[in-house]
Amino acid sequence: MRPLSVTAMTLTCAAGTGLAALRPALIEGRSGLRANDFPHCQLETWIGRVAGVEETELAGDLAEFDCRNNRLALLGLQQDDFIAQVEALKERVPASRIACVIGTSTAGIGVTEEAYREMGPQERFQPRHRLPRVHTPHTSAAFTARVLGLDGPVLTISTACSSSAKVFASAARLVAAGLADAAVVGGVDSLCLSVLYGFHSLELVSNQPCRPFDQARNGLSLGEAAGFAIVEPDAETGFGRLLGWGESSDAHHMASPHPEGAGAAAAMRQALDQAGLGSDRIGYINCHGTATPLNDRVEALAIRSVFSKPPPAASTKGWTGHTLGAAGIAEAVFSLLALSDEFLPAGLNLDQPEAEWADFILRQPLRRRVEAVLSNSFGFGGSNCSLIFGRLAA
Amino acid sequence: MSQRFDIIGAGIAAPGLPDWQALEDALAGSGLCQERQPAPSSLLSPRERRRAPRAAKLSFAAAEQACAMAGMAPGEPVAVFSSAMGDLDITDYMCRTLADDPALLSPIRFHNSVHNAASGYWSIGAGATGDVTAISAWKDSATAGLIEALARLACTPDPVLLVVYDDLAQGPMRELWPTSQDFSGALLLARPGHGRAMASLTAEPSAEPADPGELPAVLIERIDDNPAAQLLPLLALVARPGAAVTMAAEQGPGLRISRIPA
Repeated sequence: MRPLSVTAMTLTCAAGTGLAALRPALIEGRSGLRANDFPHCQLETWIGRVAGVEETELAGDLAEFDCRNNRLALLGLQQDDFIAQVEALKERVPASRIACVIGTSTAGIGVTEEAYREMGPQERFQPRHRLPRVHTPHTSAAFTARVLGLDGPVLTISTACSSSAKVFASAARLVAAGLADAAVVGGVDSLCLSVLYGFHSLELVSNQPCRPFDQARNGLSLGEAAGFAIVEPDAETGFGRLLGWGESSDAHHMASPHPEGAGAAAAMRQALDQAGLGSDRIGYINCHGTATPLNDRVEALAIRSVFSKPPPAASTKGWTGHTLGAAGIAEAVFSLLALSDEFLPAGLNLDQPEAEWADFILRQPLRRRVEAVLSNSFGFGGSNCSLIFGRLAA
Repeated sequence: MSQRFDIIGAGIAAPGLPDWQALEDALAGSGLCQERQPAPSSLLSPRERRRAPRAAKLSFAAAEQACAMAGMAPGEPVAVFSSAMGDLDITDYMCRTLADDPALLSPIRFHNSVHNAASGYWSIGAGATGDVTAISAWKDSATAGLIEALARLACTPDPVLLVVYDDLAQGPMRELWPTSQDFSGALLLARPGHGRAMASLTAEPSAEPADPGELPAVLIERIDDNPAAQLLPLLALVARPGAAVTMAAEQGPGLRISRIPA
């Protein structure tokens, strides 16, 4: 399989809108989390809410896609010259040969929630909520393909928190199978009551900013993000190259990880096998690291079962919150920045690390050139995905 | 580009079409089957069957038939679950509860609300530790599901289970998703030579409008009613000798699928 290069990318999340804002936030350890101020939500928690989503308008024929998820998607697409880079891609590759593969878990459910809240005793949506293209998990892939004018295969991957990691694997297969010559991949998830109250009902939400791998961690902080990347074979410039991926299932429980992290370890091993790399060649791991007591312990256990000596690692969720269906792309972007900027972020809010089993989690960032990075994304339904990115040029 | 593949198992579950025999009968002009219902899942324990959402029961009914027909353990193949809307029953519950009293939200129904609930329960029930994925392409979900499945088959030699399903909307969502009959179809795809083929096929990208081939009116009605039933022309091409069908997509390419004579 020809490895895909990431020739353009962008990310918008609570810690910054676009890479130019995110790079200093990573270096300075500036979190984007704030005390919950999400409308109609009374929970005492911290959230990674993106500024400027409400002001982003979907005009003209995009109005039929109007929802928070697609406003956030458009805000994200407008950063880092991403739309111009896609236009340049269309000069090299016909639009009919460019796939669009987007991960999401929330999609437009925020509008469905609002439509129920405002429907009145007739149980009929208000006219402004009668948007068939919004009330489907596919809304943001369809929207992204429309905005960018892409005519290749358009599909949504919705496997909860692994969704937008799996988009890279799906795109690589489409290219290898000859069904596309390049792809725009990405992920978009937005804050909504379903996830805020849903994770709360599972007692997985912290009342403080999340503290991945800290002894005092007591749950996750929810966030939102939109990230996108152009992937194409044979490119010599860009942020890095997709060397391998692993996709596995826990086959254990809908909402709890396998107790020994068997599925997570299988995904990491598959990714290493496909990349043809020994575990000692991975220089950094961007952990899933949600900061729930169980998830972090199981992930560390899984990493230790794959790596006899784990490399430096951290979770970036202290900056962003857990962006669910967008976590895969957000952390792929952070992993590619670690490769190309030669800066390895430490964990945020990590005061007392779990010394016994998480000693490899960075407490201070490192300026270090590494050859390959691993990014983990694990989700409900026991869906696991690990990605390995390598440097483009030696 | 043209891709050769075999179908080694197939299944269907819908009102009047509870199993493969019912589809064959309908194709032979005998109308719909009113006597049987789809068999309950053998993968879920009674406890899991109570917890599992409707989308799981609907999709399993077809998926289990396809694996049984191929004599393959359901946990063995990589699986692609494709659905336009996911579990509309749970969407209705979630949005209603959030509007009335969010503190009452059920944690089980919340974790069942993810689009990959059906595929997640499949992985648990079948003991599938390989990749089991969940995709959507709204009304193009049958075509997009086949594209995703074919791309996997091109990259790895293992069989791929494709399951396409969509349910009815509840409450106010009916106006936006007016489907009146649920539908679930499954195909087990394999590379040529993998096992006993029900049908050998080729697929190539197409920009043509959908062409379902010759189908009885009772089946055409299902395609018009439920986008998941856009898989029906392909199921029919597998069930009996035919020439070719075209599965189209509103966005992106469709597929022209031809049957290779035995």
